[in-house]
Amino acid sequence: MTPLESISEKLGATEPWVEKGGVHWLAVGTVNVRKLAQIMNEFHARFITITAYQLPKEEGFRLEYHWDLNGQLLGFSFPLAGNSIESIFDLCEAANWIEREIHEEYSLDFQGREYEPLLLRQGDTSGVNLRDVVAVSEEKK
Amino acid sequence: MSYKIPMGPYHPALEEPYKLDMICEGETVIDAKLHIGFNFRGIEHLAETRNHIQVIALMERVCGICSFIHTLTLCQSMEGLAGITPPPRALYIRTIMAELERLHSHVLWAGIAAKLMGFKTMFMTCFEIREKIMDILAAISGNRVNYSMNRIGGVNRDITDPQAILKMVEALELEMARTVIPIFTTSRTATSRCAGIGVLTTERAASCGVVGPVARASGLPQDLRRAAPYAAYAEMEFDVPVQPAGDVTARLLVRALEIMESCKILRQALAKLPPGEFHTEGEKFAFITGTSTSRVEAPRGEVMYSVSWKEGSRNPARVHVRTPTYAVMPAIKWMVKGARLADTPLIQASIDPCYSCTDR
Repeated sequence: MTPLESISEKLGATEPWVEKGGVHWLAVGTVNVRKLAQIMNEFHARFITITAYQLPKEEGFRLEYHWDLNGQLLGFSFPLAGNSIESIFDLCEAANWIEREIHEEYSLDFQGREYEPLLLRQGDTSGVNLRDVVAVSEEKK
Repeated sequence: MSYKIPMGPYHPALEEPYKLDMICEGETVIDAKLHIGFNFRGIEHLAETRNHIQVIALMERVCGICSFIHTLTLCQSMEGLAGITPPPRALYIRTIMAELERLHSHVLWAGIAAKLMGFKTMFMTCFEIREKIMDILAAISGNRVNYSMNRIGGVNRDITDPQAILKMVEALELEMARTVIPIFTTSRTATSRCAGIGVLTTERAASCGVVGPVARASGLPQDLRRAAPYAAYAEMEFDVPVQPAGDVTARLLVRALEIMESCKILRQALAKLPPGEFHTEGEKFAFITGTSTSRVEAPRGEVMYSVSWKEGSRNPARVHVRTPTYAVMPAIKWMVKGARLADTPLIQASIDPCYSCTDR
């Protein structure tokens, strides 16, 4: 069994891995992100980043988590019903800064963690969706 | 009694602004907090307001040292969305540019590290050598910092006389093998200032997810050029230097050995430069709806770009950049714990930080 197949089995995924856009994607269904982080730790996968996507209209956000396993880029997508998701910082030290950045730039909350003072834009107000701020300033031009 | 010593955001030991608040007991650092964001420009958000040509010029300005790498990673992502494969000659030219950029970045770092060691002669020597690398980059691209080399489907400029570039590289390699590497690896000034300080253990390096030379100097043999080859790296023979000690000496040795490996790759790529086009000619393309992700081994480690596009849209829907220093910098906290205060400028410099990359 390959490491990817083992991960899929551990997560109880029903769909196979799909290679698309340079990433091996796995639909994790109802598995939460903390369980995923624990399994990635078991496989000694290296955490890379979280990418936040603001969906059109009022559809909320989607977070994509990426790990590296022996040079293979793994991706897991989590649509957010509200504006929050569980933090993996205590399980994955490397996720600290990117969770703080997404909190500051998109006003999303990572539950179960404390936020230190602003990582980017020190002294500015937290909880502003910077993407909207940039869009408005570009429109004014 | 403990007391707080702030270093930065503007400090003689820092090339760019960031802040390290160190809690000290006597001369020993017992804890530290990092503050970044002084160079925050909102580039990821700005990218969503630029078209597929403008966004290349914008992302080239994320970093002044690895500007080529940023456009390479971006273009690879956009090529994935457009279904374009650059011609073989373009892939070789990309490899040559990437290795020249690694050389000038490592030599720049060596110069700054020498300055922080109090080794001014070595600083001047490194910068003199770096000028020669910049000359080669200028000879190929016409530019010294933002090279404007990458485009969707290849590169903008050809290497018309690889033999002339090869001669310049050989002269450079000789000079580095004769001066920089022996002095850094054997002189008492360098070894006494670097050995045993700023240690990042293999376990801590793995848990922090560090990348690039810092990871390799902590015993983690990761290098995307080997693990997930891009451009023409699959056709190159080279070693990935790894050192287990995790201290500043190990980081210095890894970069010194990487300089020689870069020269090895350059010699191969210039000798085997395939004939043909250096970009796709007149080919119409359109972006499909979706996300394409690309990773490249920059001088400081892995850079990752995720680019999303909606079919028919003028601009990208999202451009996310994960830079190497963003992954490495949090580990400084662990490197300075237990260190002497006087060693902290050199320790933080030993990761070769790029604050512009980090803040974007």
